[in-house]
Amino acid sequence: MGTYENFKTNVRNLGGDVTETDFYQRGYHLDVVLTVNTVREFAQTAYDQGFYLVFVTGFHVLPENNAGIKTSGLEVVYQFAMFDRLCRVKARVSVPEDLTVPSICHIYQGANWHERETRDFYGIRFSDHPNLEPLLLCEEDKDYHPLLKEEKKLKSFEEVSWPAQHPDMADIQIEPSSDV
Amino acid sequence: MGPQHPSTHGVLLVVLEMDGEYVLDPQPVLGFIHRMHEKMGESRPCQGFMPNTARMDYVCALPYNHGYVSLIERKAGIEVPKRAEYIRVITSELNRVASHLLWLGAYLLDLGAFTPILYGFDDREHILDILEDVTGSRLTYCYYRFGGVYQDIDDKFVESTRAFIKRLRKRFDIYEKLVTKNIIFIKRAENIGIISRDMAIRYGITGPNLRGSGIAYDIRKNEPYSVYPEFDFEVPVGERGDCLDRYMVRVREMEQSLRIIEQALDTLPDGPVRSKVPKKIKLAPGDCNFAVEAARGELSYYLVGDGTSVPYRLKIRVPSYSNLSCLPELGEGILLPDLVSIMGSMDLVIPEIDR
Repeated sequence: MGTYENFKTNVRNLGGDVTETDFYQRGYHLDVVLTVNTVREFAQTAYDQGFYLVFVTGFHVLPENNAGIKTSGLEVVYQFAMFDRLCRVKARVSVPEDLTVPSICHIYQGANWHERETRDFYGIRFSDHPNLEPLLLCEEDKDYHPLLKEEKKLKSFEEVSWPAQHPDMADIQIEPSSDV
Repeated sequence: MGPQHPSTHGVLLVVLEMDGEYVLDPQPVLGFIHRMHEKMGESRPCQGFMPNTARMDYVCALPYNHGYVSLIERKAGIEVPKRAEYIRVITSELNRVASHLLWLGAYLLDLGAFTPILYGFDDREHILDILEDVTGSRLTYCYYRFGGVYQDIDDKFVESTRAFIKRLRKRFDIYEKLVTKNIIFIKRAENIGIISRDMAIRYGITGPNLRGSGIAYDIRKNEPYSVYPEFDFEVPVGERGDCLDRYMVRVREMEQSLRIIEQALDTLPDGPVRSKVPKKIKLAPGDCNFAVEAARGELSYYLVGDGTSVPYRLKIRVPSYSNLSCLPELGEGILLPDLVSIMGSMDLVIPEIDR
């Protein structure tokens, strides 16, 4: 279990919030919450541990206004998995109001297209991206973002997340497979 | 190159920067047949999205059905009868063989050999006939249902599948003589377009393209779903990761698929093929992921529910999208005919990439 524990420690060290999840319920093992400042470090850690990039996408919920700190309501969701053992990681980062998130395509070149697609669908910008042009949508629709939800359809983040985990659940977690 | 070039297999445009016959920078341009399937998935109840799943990868549609029904079943906690899971595996594997046969013919056609596609289509036709009898369609299947399959398979299906397996095993010898040992083919495929392990990690390359590079990563084995753990099959891998290895992996995979189908037919349990499922399926709040092994690699559905029957968010991760994204790096500084060989060996399906 060496690398798996190491990975969790490394992600926690760089300020990521790591939660283990029930794989049979959710289809992934780790839920990581990042901040915009740690996205790149996290990607580098994942790369060093041998994770491959599954996808990058966006997510739109009702913006929050907590004690004067406004959020954009947008999130970037990353998924990573491994070739040698069963371990699927979901990482998410809340997009700040200027709608800019660091690009990870210098570490995972495959993220290039995924990030362009996320810009197409959600209008999220990725800083230091080499070519953030429309990919799946056409040039004329550059400012049209089809997956942004209408205001009346938006739900708060709590309404679309799993209920807070019962403490008893922690004991029956299913560990990912051991090293191959 | 494209969007009407014969070797792009669909409406894909690749803008090439050339130096004489050498490719300096190939940049794929996507989106010609983009249909926004994700938006459609988020704007109708989950049952209504079922027919869409087959319209992404029309060559190998049943694994796309499989991923989506399994995702909803995982999210809504629906039990599936064992017989239904067996039928799903049998039909999915038949579809995988059909997909590989089509690829084999099309790849060889790219390289200038006309005959193999005729052999490939001949064999594939048998599979389409078999599947048409149970699913009702020849290409864009919508056969699986939440909690089972649309209808049971009959004796005729079992008989014709067994006959087909026997037939295809004989045909493998013909393919081997015609293609695998053909010196012209080997020269066009060997040591061309080598994908390394690091490259696969950076781009997220999966499926036979990855296994050609010697990494035995197959969702059916590594993240077992359905009843795959009950069958004995191998995951063929290559050594160098070139076009020839990707070819060999797919050819050997067909044999493994036949083995799975045979075992499944031998041990097919009796019982119902569909469990009772409420008319309106409520998707509880929270996210959920389901990955399956499609013919071209890892297909992941990622869904966020909000308590209604309409998914709040549906992300579809398709294998060819990530597989193709490595082309600018893979195709740098090679000859133009080699680029055709590489793209052919990747087994691209454009409607799947564009979604």
